[in-house]
Amino acid sequence: MTGILMRASNLTAVYAADSGKDVPAVDNVTLEVPEGQIVGLAGESGCGKTTMGNALAMIANPPLYVVAGTMQIDDEDIDLSTLARGSNEAHRPYRGSTVSLLPQGAMNAVSPTLKVKNLVVDVMRAHKRDTTVAEAMDRATDRLKMLEMPTRVLDSYAHQLSGGMKQRMVTVVSTLLNPKLLIADEPTSALDVSSQKALIEMLLAMVEKKIMRGVIFITHDLPVLSMVTDRLAIMYAGKIVENGPTEELVNNARHPYTSALLSSVLDPTEETRTKHVLGIPGSPPNLANPPTGCRFHPRCPFAMDICKHEEPAFLHERDHAVACWWANDHAYQTVPMEVNQA
Amino acid sequence: MGLRRYLANKTVWYLGALVVAVVLNFLLPRLIPGNPVDVLVSKMGQGGLSSEAQQRTYEAFMREFGLDKPMWDQFLLYMSGVFQGSFGASFSFYPTPVSSLIAQSVPYTLALQLPAIVLGWIIGNVLGAIAAYKGGGWDKSVFTTALLFNSTPYYCLSIILLYVFGVVLGIFPVGGAYSLGLSPEWSWDFFSDALTYWWLPFLSLVLINIGGQAVGMRSMAIYELGSDYVNYSRSLGIGDRKMTGYIFRNAMLPQITGLALSIGTMVGGALITELVFSYPGMGSLLFGAISSNDYPVIQAVTLIITVAVLVANYLVEILYGFIDPRIRASKSGEK
Amino acid sequence: MTNIQSAAATAEAEGPLIPEGLPTEPRKAKPAWRSLNFGPRMWISLGIIGFVAALAFIGPLFYPYGAEEKVGSLYDSPSAEHFLGTENFGYDVLAVLMASARNSIIIGLLAGTIAVLIGVAIGVLAGYVGGWVEELLMGFTNIVLSIPPIVILILISISLQSTGIAFLKGVVGLALVIGIVSWPWTARAVRAQASSVATREHIDVAKLSGARTPSILVRDVLPYLASYAVMAWVLQLASAILLESTLSMLGLGPSGANSLGKQLFWALAFQAVATGAWWAFLPPTIVLTMISFGLLYLQSSLDEVFNPRLRRGKKKNLAKAAARRAEAARKLAENKPVEAIV
Repeated sequence: MTGILMRASNLTAVYAADSGKDVPAVDNVTLEVPEGQIVGLAGESGCGKTTMGNALAMIANPPLYVVAGTMQIDDEDIDLSTLARGSNEAHRPYRGSTVSLLPQGAMNAVSPTLKVKNLVVDVMRAHKRDTTVAEAMDRATDRLKMLEMPTRVLDSYAHQLSGGMKQRMVTVVSTLLNPKLLIADEPTSALDVSSQKALIEMLLAMVEKKIMRGVIFITHDLPVLSMVTDRLAIMYAGKIVENGPTEELVNNARHPYTSALLSSVLDPTEETRTKHVLGIPGSPPNLANPPTGCRFHPRCPFAMDICKHEEPAFLHERDHAVACWWANDHAYQTVPMEVNQA
Repeated sequence: MGLRRYLANKTVWYLGALVVAVVLNFLLPRLIPGNPVDVLVSKMGQGGLSSEAQQRTYEAFMREFGLDKPMWDQFLLYMSGVFQGSFGASFSFYPTPVSSLIAQSVPYTLALQLPAIVLGWIIGNVLGAIAAYKGGGWDKSVFTTALLFNSTPYYCLSIILLYVFGVVLGIFPVGGAYSLGLSPEWSWDFFSDALTYWWLPFLSLVLINIGGQAVGMRSMAIYELGSDYVNYSRSLGIGDRKMTGYIFRNAMLPQITGLALSIGTMVGGALITELVFSYPGMGSLLFGAISSNDYPVIQAVTLIITVAVLVANYLVEILYGFIDPRIRASKSGEK
Repeated sequence: MTNIQSAAATAEAEGPLIPEGLPTEPRKAKPAWRSLNFGPRMWISLGIIGFVAALAFIGPLFYPYGAEEKVGSLYDSPSAEHFLGTENFGYDVLAVLMASARNSIIIGLLAGTIAVLIGVAIGVLAGYVGGWVEELLMGFTNIVLSIPPIVILILISISLQSTGIAFLKGVVGLALVIGIVSWPWTARAVRAQASSVATREHIDVAKLSGARTPSILVRDVLPYLASYAVMAWVLQLASAILLESTLSMLGLGPSGANSLGKQLFWALAFQAVATGAWWAFLPPTIVLTMISFGLLYLQSSLDEVFNPRLRRGKKKNLAKAAARRAEAARKLAENKPVEAIV
């Protein structure tokens, strides 16, 4: 795998619903992260992106079960399944050091009775038993200085920090061990605009300084996505429907859902003033009983007969992949967005 | 809020509660018009006292206990007495001062309740924490047993223990605090004897306290298991042991406040336990006073119980302020 | 009673989390009672309570002896005619037991309901209105809370003893007094919940559409408090019954009426334990414990229903589901599709 940091293959994760049935939230998904790049994972609520993040970070907890999937990272092949009894212990050494999760809601991520510096020591000791307090503190203060953050954060409790500061602090802790891959789950959702900016700049700086070698950035906030990511993967109903360089997806969307999703955001340019903002009619499907064939077909304005019966295979156009029958018939064409000349 | 503000706040409220309690303690028995002395004297009359002698006794009592004065004066009399530590003389054991009666019974009550509360809290919390951590069959059996104990009133367990171990099996004595013929003294013999009398009443209190704490702690710990910080620590590769440490530190906090709040309810049932075992603590004293309408004793005992509970609550709440970092190290707001 | 505290504590904490990935239905959330699944705990507790209730209310219809019929002498042993022998006045113990249970339950119901009504009213008012009203009411609540209820009850009962008004001395009077003293717990738990409901969006919607406060309270706030009110009611019942028996054992019980506590009072007074007349004190002890346990067990099973975080799943269902998942994983491993994705 040249130039590819991580490849997750055939990942399937299910939720054990109260009814007793298993609901597949991530259905046989394969995803790659190239070296040094930030890959965005976007989609509506409930599409499975956070579940995927949890599965990749190896922290899936019942009622979520990873049924199948492997991760290839550097030379290692890691089995992501959590069905076997010893899987929790087997995954533990990777958490935080190989793959690390920056959680949604960092607000409550740190125990209220734990000082940040003690968390730092615990994290380092979890991976290297004989780490001394001094070593842990050195590492932490160096990292904080590098990222231009005040070192007194270490002596504080979580409740003493503001929202933005807390999020950045959690980011530092999550990357303390220089994880190869960072999975950021909606890191900017709960922040105000200036804190968002500070956090994004920090993430970009960290990638540049090679603290992490790749990032998966999960969000439904599309303007942030276009600012931050190099590549985008669009998820719908537990499957990836399109995957490619961000700029191409924004300007040359090949899947009807991508087009609708990206156009549902207001971008205050000259052009948009003349365009209608389309909502996407209908609602996301019930994952316990997904539509046959292509899952998007009930809401797709371009649906054809084949869409109802057969799941589309991936079509690869250079480094841009799309799973859509319409796209198959219209090679390299952008999905036409309805325009209304005002 | 900051520590200082928290402490000040608590102090003010507890002083307020104290004032209310003292006033209530004085007022409530006097709510219904009617004279306790009447009742007393008529009882004596049933024992065959001449009506003239009754009249004289009546007047003597009235003067002695200030019952012929208006309410406000009585209250002042009462308050000054309380501050000097004197509660007047008992009606039934006249002229024995109430304070000496109380002084005799307090040690026994303390000997029962203090260890029962402290040990019950410690053991119960540990058990509950382990049950929450282990889950599965262990959890189920501990929980059901603890719940069973927790739902049993103190005196019910007392009666059962007394019957089984005292009467049927004869292992423990059936009543009292020490064997006949002995008198309280600081000697090993006395203590080892008194211990056999102490054991059953203590058990009935502590087992139920353990049950209560275990149930509460288990619920809090299970609740914490689903918290964000548990998931996050896990995602950093932190092991189970360390994480349970985090959980317990957090679950402990509401347990401490819970302790403060439950002391008040514990007291009632625990006093009845003394009755079952004829243990000469404040419960038995109170019971005797109620049966004989000995108002000074009743009032004094209730006042002491209330003050003790308030002080205990206050101390626990102050302790909590020092332990919970959210109060101890308050927000210093930074951007 | 730590169960009350734990119920109040969890009521004061957040509500249940919803895992992402489950289909988000675009309709109103189901009211709590629709998703009640009566687990074994609930059946057991209802069974116990039902038994005692039957004993108290249905038993006397069939049992030939009355509670104040002298049928024997002091502590006659159980016989074929009198299953539980006679007590100290020569009355049939079983008959007395039924009457006592009935009175204890009635007192519990009356007092518990009064306490819940007061507690909910104060809690809702404090939580919803907030500000100085909340401070004042909660301060008042805390003061009442810190004074041991038993003390107040003793003092009031003593003055009631010498009153001429019969009904105040009896069952109803006692229930009133207990109810008026026991509401603080409920008020605390309800206030926390009301406080959090007050900040939810649908309240703002109601206010904006011009609804007046009483209507908002009844239609928008109360339904969310229903589960807490029900649990509080169960706990108040238990607490009231136990308070009454404590008072009765001190000799301050309802005059002219039997109660479980009073039976125990007489048993102690006549040395039933020491003389081994187990039929005189064991039945009321057991019945009292049954009521108490039944109610508290009911409350904890309700707690699990309303607070899914506490649920731990049924063992055999979990095993079946795990087997199902392992099977699914095996199948996936066998037919791994050759998916090449960028």
